[in-house]
Amino acid sequence: MKGVAARGNLVDDLGWRRPNPVGVAAVITLAAVLPIMWPNDYVIDVGLTALIWMILNQSWNLQLGIGGIWNFGQLAIFAIGAYSSALVSIHWGVPGWLAMLIGGLGAALASLIIAIPVLRLRGIYASLLTFSFAEVVRLLVISDQSGVTGGTFGLSGVPDLAFGGLTPDARQRAYYWLALALVVATAVVIYVFIHSPLGASLKALRDSPGYAAARGVSPMRMQVITFSTAAFIAGIAGGFYAHYFGVVSPSVMGLAPMALFVTMLVIGGLGTFAGPMVGTALIMVVSEYLRDYQEARLIILGLILLVTVVVAPRGLVPALQDARARVQRWMSEDESPIDAETSTGSETGETSESPVSSSKGER
Amino acid sequence: MSAFLQAVVSGLVTGSIYAVMTVGMTLIYGTLRTLNMTQGSMVMIGGYVAWMVFDGLGWGPILGGVAAAVVGFAFGVAIQQAAIRPLIGRRGVDFEMTAFISTFAVAIVLSNVALRIYGARSKAVPPVIHGRLHLLEGISVSWHSLVMAGIAVGTLLALGGFLSKTRYGLAISAVAQQLDAARLMGIPAQRVYNLTMGVSSALAAIAGVLLASVFFVSPNAGDLPLLKALIVAIFGGLGSVRGTILAAYIIGLAEALVSLYFGVKWSLPLLFLSIMIVMLVRPTGLLGKPEEARL
Repeated sequence: MKGVAARGNLVDDLGWRRPNPVGVAAVITLAAVLPIMWPNDYVIDVGLTALIWMILNQSWNLQLGIGGIWNFGQLAIFAIGAYSSALVSIHWGVPGWLAMLIGGLGAALASLIIAIPVLRLRGIYASLLTFSFAEVVRLLVISDQSGVTGGTFGLSGVPDLAFGGLTPDARQRAYYWLALALVVATAVVIYVFIHSPLGASLKALRDSPGYAAARGVSPMRMQVITFSTAAFIAGIAGGFYAHYFGVVSPSVMGLAPMALFVTMLVIGGLGTFAGPMVGTALIMVVSEYLRDYQEARLIILGLILLVTVVVAPRGLVPALQDARARVQRWMSEDESPIDAETSTGSETGETSESPVSSSKGER
Repeated sequence: MSAFLQAVVSGLVTGSIYAVMTVGMTLIYGTLRTLNMTQGSMVMIGGYVAWMVFDGLGWGPILGGVAAAVVGFAFGVAIQQAAIRPLIGRRGVDFEMTAFISTFAVAIVLSNVALRIYGARSKAVPPVIHGRLHLLEGISVSWHSLVMAGIAVGTLLALGGFLSKTRYGLAISAVAQQLDAARLMGIPAQRVYNLTMGVSSALAAIAGVLLASVFFVSPNAGDLPLLKALIVAIFGGLGSVRGTILAAYIIGLAEALVSLYFGVKWSLPLLFLSIMIVMLVRPTGLLGKPEEARL
């Protein structure tokens, strides 16, 4: 950047892209009318599942992508949310809405168990600690014989949300719209978080921990805030999952589902705002198309992940943004060569909302 | 008492195999800064190679081990070229994270390809030698596990000699210690990366051959070894070969003793729990150096 940049440019340089209001409204409307346009139980069910995964992936992205914290225990947090929400509504008859909230709070509390220890560890070591935590939770649930969690078979008979009087079709649609509302609410929360001073300090801690701490960002405080926010969101998603499907089982945790969610996150773009949602939608569509070729499904998904990581390691969303910026630059070059010269500075690849790697990652 | 000693003996045997399987992981992390998730797939591939050689061709066990090592080496180099090399030096990308994910993707593909080729049914590989050796009263060890431990220790010694005596081994150590200095001394880093991935994958494949006759060979035969290898590697300190070998024996013993006193069901949860505690006390593993010191 050459010397002074206008404030508008500065905002762009920090990667604070303004969302396109028309596009956002169009996507939400399209998602909202899907059950009406395509009134097929199966399609709505897949859409609902995708929406739940979107909530979960957004919360995970807050840690993994934006915070650069290698947390691979998010599925256990999701499961803790699901189990606690299911348990309070089965045993104490807590209404569904409140149970989901309790699920979120339970997940947030559980996440504090790992938030502080992880602070001491770096990169890969943190991933093992969090993954160990998740495995301990999973194995404890599987080997639980007291009947509280239902062991391997899972906990069934989770009561419905308060949609009692509706027909099955209407009930499913109500769930769908509620899930969509939750996705939008989560997106707003994450958006506000990223673009607040909190988000800036989180990114600063990711890119240069020492410098950020020296400038007065408290790693401990940020860790607790990030973990509890992400866990609360994941817990709500878990509670919703439990109430919609009526069952929670330990099979939501483990390596296989983790592989799927990591694929979604990486393909969309880790550390970007829209990435997790785009990735989830894409992978859900692809894996539905591959449903008839069950054996080849995981091979193809794995290959897609591999090719994406090798070709566009930052994910599709940043890659597309870069491509758009390049086309715009190319078009503006045609119009006025001198203007293009100055505008390239603010629009080259390094300014986009990318996880600017810390020096340790570069070889 | 004899039960205790029996557990110690079997712990030492499993520890040796863990060491062979994990040393490769730590070597790769030391040179390439990649947590290689395909290490488990190599164990699985080694097992299948052993099965094909024993069952299909009827060749002897030693040839099986050699064949597995060659196949593992080839796979390792191919994975390095396809999944890790394109990521080196990319700007704006966290190399450790992306390389971890790309090897993870390769592992998913490999185990599902194996599922397509060989089916989900597990294959049995017969043990090399039958019979048991009676050490003391009530303590015995099967000749087969003794041979396994022997091969494992021999492989580790050969690796130690390779790393400290030969030209190429020294190149690997040099790149692991100081990449820039190694390059300035004229060491071709790219070739060292290939060599490291090849050697490490060959080691994992040999471990796969050894494990094949104890457990069965199946498409996800690599999952549990991968999990164990991760624990051992991080417990020992990534990048430290000595720490890894020490950790492998500690974990092998701990596992055997936990299964003896608490039952097999508890061995994995307790292992994870103790690792969590160990990492809180020593965040970089037993002999691992802090990240800052290594840069």
